[in-house]
Amino acid sequence: MSNIALGRYIPLDSLIHKLDPRMKIIAMFFLLIAVFVPAGYPGYGVLGVFIVSVLLIAKLRLNFIFRAMKPMAFMLVFLLMINVLVLRTGYVLFSFYGFTVYSDAIYQTLYITFRLALMIMITTALTATTKPLDLTLAIEDLLGPLKRFGVPAHEIAMMISIALRFIPTLIEETQRIMKAQASRGVDLKEGKFKEKIMAILSLIVPLFVSSFQRAEDLADAMEARGYVPSATRTRYKQLKRTLKDYIMLFIVLLLLGGLITLAFVV
Amino acid sequence: MPIAFEKVSYTYAPGTPFSYAALKEVDLAIEMGKITAIIGPTGSGKSTLVQHLNALLQPSDGQVLVLDRIITHADKPKQLKSLRKNVGLVFQFPEYQLFEETVLKDVMFGPLNFGVSEEEAKKRAMETLTVVGIDPSIAEKSPLDLSGGQKRRIAIAGILAIDPKVLVLDEPTAGLDPQGSKSMMQLFTQLNRQYEKTVLIVTHDMEHVLNYCDNVVVMQDGKCVTHQTVKEFFNDGKLLHELNIKVPNVLRFKESLAKGGMSLPEGISDLQTLAKAIAGRIKP
Repeated sequence: MSNIALGRYIPLDSLIHKLDPRMKIIAMFFLLIAVFVPAGYPGYGVLGVFIVSVLLIAKLRLNFIFRAMKPMAFMLVFLLMINVLVLRTGYVLFSFYGFTVYSDAIYQTLYITFRLALMIMITTALTATTKPLDLTLAIEDLLGPLKRFGVPAHEIAMMISIALRFIPTLIEETQRIMKAQASRGVDLKEGKFKEKIMAILSLIVPLFVSSFQRAEDLADAMEARGYVPSATRTRYKQLKRTLKDYIMLFIVLLLLGGLITLAFVV
Repeated sequence: MPIAFEKVSYTYAPGTPFSYAALKEVDLAIEMGKITAIIGPTGSGKSTLVQHLNALLQPSDGQVLVLDRIITHADKPKQLKSLRKNVGLVFQFPEYQLFEETVLKDVMFGPLNFGVSEEEAKKRAMETLTVVGIDPSIAEKSPLDLSGGQKRRIAIAGILAIDPKVLVLDEPTAGLDPQGSKSMMQLFTQLNRQYEKTVLIVTHDMEHVLNYCDNVVVMQDGKCVTHQTVKEFFNDGKLLHELNIKVPNVLRFKESLAKGGMSLPEGISDLQTLAKAIAGRIKP
């Protein structure tokens, strides 16, 4: 569990790391829209090359990204099975035991696989190169204009940053309790159904108890320091946009425009 | 066969940017039937070391001998349950592992997992609760309603009820008041003397090492720097200074007395004996 790659910040020194987090979030949104532009395989090819080069510029190792995608493998197998059962268009690829597999089933599954892979790569490119704290600052800034409509931008950002802050703590805690219960003979992998339920219970109950305790402690600590969400506050860390950020956004928009042209005009 | 580490190395998250070598070729043999203290600064690999004893961690390299088992990198985790029955590991802040509705059920949980019958488990639970100093009248209460010290005792009872030959405790007195930690240490001494358990204690408290332990293992930077009897250890002033270890007050006081010209016999380690020895000297 300690090698969860999804959404983890990788402290490296690269051009991508130094970009303004707000601009990176905006760029990520445009890129995610681009994934859903129906530009077919050529479009995905272009997008794929673009994102892989972004990851390389960010000095991330590609096998790190693949590891991030691993949890998806199960989902894709499931998807393939459903597609094979449901989709009955295209030409017949092969059949066995009165069971026919059509080309569209494979085609469709591959299409979705590409889509998911691209989406994971895009989001990883953001989360791996941006400190979680910078990310929440950026979210707060981007939601700022919506404050006028009663969107609690600061509260949302605070909630996200607290949640992010406690993910590693929770993982650590889970591992600790798992080990403690393993010492008491709990076996999460083997045993009868009833034993397994007991095993999971022995993990979840202590986790819940300590999480609530921690939440309460944190709330007390914040209150003791006079935390008021609506208070105006200055920031130690100021976000700054530079020319590089605008160039990056321009390239992304160019790519999105190109894909839309490819999909609807050509 | 006792407990032995042979060139044991352990690396967390190997092959990633977060890779960290916690143990580096540790060679160590633990004497059975004794209380051994494991000391060393934070991050020196103490906790990693003890987690090898019941195969929660398997060595990246080298092998660990525990009782009649050899644990290597290649071992399947499946075959390790019988080992965990013989080596009970109590983690730091074990009170967080309590989850059952009642104290009794929680203590019974371990033995039941290892295939002990319901009645036998209940019998053992009641016995161990008495041993750790918990009044049987609270056996039907929820463990979450009790005080921190009580919870910790119940958690330790939960391991003891499995009846392991070796008991490993990772900082068992952390966060307890002086009175609580003293009686906790006395409990381990009793388990060692009366129930003949081999006890390993990870600790930062030199007073505890001096007063309750037989042997001491010092870890530093993933290596075992020294392993000797407590008596030898606290007599080796040079080594203590090198390892930057805070000498217990009794010994420091004795040392100051010796500097001032009052040399007392060797082997005095507790306050009572020291006081008597001094009293014997100053009487006219």
